[in-house]
Amino acid sequence: MNTKFKKALSDLLINPGRTALVIFALVIGLWGVGSILVTYTILKNDLNENYKRTNPAHVIVTSKNFNRLDLTALRKRPEIESAEFRDLSLERIEVHPNQWIPLWVFGVEDFNNFNLARFYSEKGSNVPGRDAMLIERDGLHVSDLKLGSRARVRVGGRILEVPVTGISFDPAQAPATHDAFIYAYVDKKTYAAITGEPADRRLIFRLKGVITKQDIETITNGILDDFGRSGIIVDTVRIPKLNEHPHQWQLNTLLFLQGSIGLLAFLMGAVLVSQLMSAILARQVRQIGVLKAIGASRVQVLGIYMTMALIFGAVSSVIAVPLAIASGYAFAEFTARIINFNILTTTLPIHLYVYLIAAGLLLPILLSLPALLKGVNVSVRDTLSDYGIGQDANDKKAGLFAKLPLSSTAALAFRNTLRRKKRLAVTVAAMALGVAIFSTGFNVRQALVVLLSESRNSMKHDVQMVLKDQVPLEQALLPFKSVTNVSRIEAWSGGRGRLQTGMVSTRNGIGIVALPHDTDLLKPDIITGRWLKKADELEVVMNQGAMGTFENPVIGGYYSLDIKGKPVKAKLVGVVKEFDVPKIYLDKDQYDALVNPGHLINSLMFVAKDKDFDKVIALKKEIEKALEPSNLGVLYVMSQAERSKIIYDHLNIILTLLAFLAMLVLVVSALGMASATGINIMERTREIGVLRAIGATPKMIYGLFVAEGMVISIASILSGLLLAWPLSIVASSFFGNLMLGNGASLHFAFSNLGFVITLITTLFFGWLASRIPARRAINVSTREALSYE
Amino acid sequence: MNNTTNYIRFDQVSKWFESAAGRFDALKNIDLTIGQGERVAIVGKSGSGKSTLLNMLTGIDHPSQGAVSINATEVHTLNESRLATWRGANIGIVFQFFQLIPTLSILENLLLAMDFVNVIPKKERIQRAEALLAQVGISEHAGKLPAALSGGEQQRAAIARALANDPPILVADEPTGNLDSRTAEAIQKLFVQLTGNGKTVIVVTHENVSGARYDRVITLNDGVIAGDERRPS
Repeated sequence: MNTKFKKALSDLLINPGRTALVIFALVIGLWGVGSILVTYTILKNDLNENYKRTNPAHVIVTSKNFNRLDLTALRKRPEIESAEFRDLSLERIEVHPNQWIPLWVFGVEDFNNFNLARFYSEKGSNVPGRDAMLIERDGLHVSDLKLGSRARVRVGGRILEVPVTGISFDPAQAPATHDAFIYAYVDKKTYAAITGEPADRRLIFRLKGVITKQDIETITNGILDDFGRSGIIVDTVRIPKLNEHPHQWQLNTLLFLQGSIGLLAFLMGAVLVSQLMSAILARQVRQIGVLKAIGASRVQVLGIYMTMALIFGAVSSVIAVPLAIASGYAFAEFTARIINFNILTTTLPIHLYVYLIAAGLLLPILLSLPALLKGVNVSVRDTLSDYGIGQDANDKKAGLFAKLPLSSTAALAFRNTLRRKKRLAVTVAAMALGVAIFSTGFNVRQALVVLLSESRNSMKHDVQMVLKDQVPLEQALLPFKSVTNVSRIEAWSGGRGRLQTGMVSTRNGIGIVALPHDTDLLKPDIITGRWLKKADELEVVMNQGAMGTFENPVIGGYYSLDIKGKPVKAKLVGVVKEFDVPKIYLDKDQYDALVNPGHLINSLMFVAKDKDFDKVIALKKEIEKALEPSNLGVLYVMSQAERSKIIYDHLNIILTLLAFLAMLVLVVSALGMASATGINIMERTREIGVLRAIGATPKMIYGLFVAEGMVISIASILSGLLLAWPLSIVASSFFGNLMLGNGASLHFAFSNLGFVITLITTLFFGWLASRIPARRAINVSTREALSYE
Repeated sequence: MNNTTNYIRFDQVSKWFESAAGRFDALKNIDLTIGQGERVAIVGKSGSGKSTLLNMLTGIDHPSQGAVSINATEVHTLNESRLATWRGANIGIVFQFFQLIPTLSILENLLLAMDFVNVIPKKERIQRAEALLAQVGISEHAGKLPAALSGGEQQRAAIARALANDPPILVADEPTGNLDSRTAEAIQKLFVQLTGNGKTVIVVTHENVSGARYDRVITLNDGVIAGDERRPS
């Protein structure tokens, strides 16, 4: 074996603990960044690809007189790629005994031949058969249903038993587990039989050669004009975001989180490796001098230490790359399971392997290059006379500490901490950055928890019952006359949530919530403007989602809305922040006066007398029971706790990932601090000998170094928390915008849990980092310590 | 110029160090020539400038003023890389604290020096290293790490390493300063015995230089040459 290579290798083996630490740091860094890269590569492509492969509809139009439509002629239009009637009715299904959730029943024209809004057969039959249905696979996670079950479906006052003959997979739908409903697919005859509704009232179509939503709108307007000329009265027109899965925002948030925290973790890892390489070189300074003295050129010395870095890289890559690929796939699969799509990427692109291996091999070299160059550029005289930490001749700061009321040990700990200022600065900065990112992660997490809590607190009712059709108030209230534990019931048209949008909306699919302007059951967070009040003209309040559907809406501006086929002008008076699909709030009296002369309602908000959790659950059951003999078409009955859980489920994956990634960054940076502290102590073995020679006991020396570790930890925590403040504000604003849209910001929130974890982790690592080398150092004899080079 | 009398030449060499306490003059206007094959002892009290002079000669340090030339090479003008190569081929250095690479065996320490300089053909290196270790009497320790050897044995290994590339000049900085008197005597003898074949030998020492081991004894005091005694060979 080449002696130069052997030297590089044997230098690594002389201190196996430190070598293991460097490899561990590199493995953690490479693993973290690698798995994020792998996950990113898979997810970035696969959700969208899953969605696109279904050939999702560009436009969804509902009308009660599509019997006037010549579908064959429509299909032949040059701008139409495909079109069909895909009916949709919202019913209820029993998922566990006496527990009912909404059921979306799709009426499908031909299960054997459809190219539009496709779904796939997973298990059982791909055609449900007469009076049977297929259910979407994600629904199995929220119910006791399985292939062969006889599902209990409730339609108005009827309860039907419908066999489940197949399990399908529909990646274009929002996951059932998130929204707590189930998708079912039936043929047209079964659709009419189950729902009691006529078929062919919901048309979906896909256009040729469209690139933007604007293109779709333009072509659709032309088609709708033709519909109008044929006497077809369109109820609603919905144009979903082009080529975007309904939960793409969730994935975007995840990808952004992964990308940014991955990059930061990588930077932390880089600092750590760079520190460790500096430490190794610090130990090697005299040897570098000897190598040069016996004839080694700078390049040769550099070669030896680069070989060392290369060995680090190779060993780390062998461990980290397979781990990164495995965990990257595992996380992608976890995400896919939650958002309900399939992983399509079976082989990773070659360039990804090249990146991973190149990163593994080259990064240790690049990261240690500054330290290497510095080490090999030190003159032979300096290297041969290097005995570790030296006294800075220009340091005049000792007097400052002399004035502080500190014990000599504490004063020494402070002064020693400040001796290698550059290293100290890098150590504290790296650790502070770690603390800052961790705290920011937890603060954003806390802000999301606050959002959740705000969302829960903004709704003051206890149980909500939503009907699938608008009915007269008296008819809706009739079944509940004998329900106990109710202090009052308020009636709305429309309401929060996606399903309500399907019930009451503008023509272009923005959900409408018509409620008493002075209701005390809704206290939304108003971002700008004000809440509704009694007014002569039509006033509306929008959430951010709705704001996004208008071009730069301003408070006080007038905007056109098409409600129930009637165009109205409304004045925008306020914007509320809420985690919901686009919604417009307006006063129920004004709504009734404009478009609802029959004062129909579809939502009853029950306020319980006794708000005890069990009593509210009992109330919900009582409402369900009261509904049984009625003919009301119920969409859902939901307690506030259940609604909160639905919102929480949407955020949970983000909250979990935030906590996990933040912990990763904190551990990597804590390792960096541990290594830097360890190096500091190791370099001062000779000084330990001197301290012991002048009478310091091992306990005193141990205490001194642990105190130094604590000083660094506390400095890092303080700097990190200070840095976390502006970072959290920026991050809250970013996440608010990403998740809620249109400039919404999450409230800045300080996470106490995050603070406690930061404190414990940082102090623990600081203590550990001091303890291990200090223990080792005090076990060395005074003679050995004094002769340490 | 390359001749036997002016083989090593110091022209008005001064070296000073700046520190918080002010300027310290380690060497003051040294004029010195050493001939090829001379065996020179440099003696003086601690702080007299002995090691600094040696550092100027080996190129380990540069003069603040003046010039150092060795066999017509202006040492102080060479950059770090050229200096390392030149030093490896022309000067063998023996340190007081041996300075063997602790992670390599004794044999590998010698091979490493030859690998760096590349003047000994590859296939001859192991044989040469073994021969040198036999010459210094530690061939049985060839495969051991330095830590397994006594101080005297380590210094023998360091001498063998200094001779690895067969340099014309051998310098030693207190080579016996870290050894007991019996071992020191043995090392002194070995040193003279190994370097008697026309090599220029310069040894910094505070030991007794009586006897016939050196052709010349230069005494330094406060950075100036206080004595230059030539002895009959």
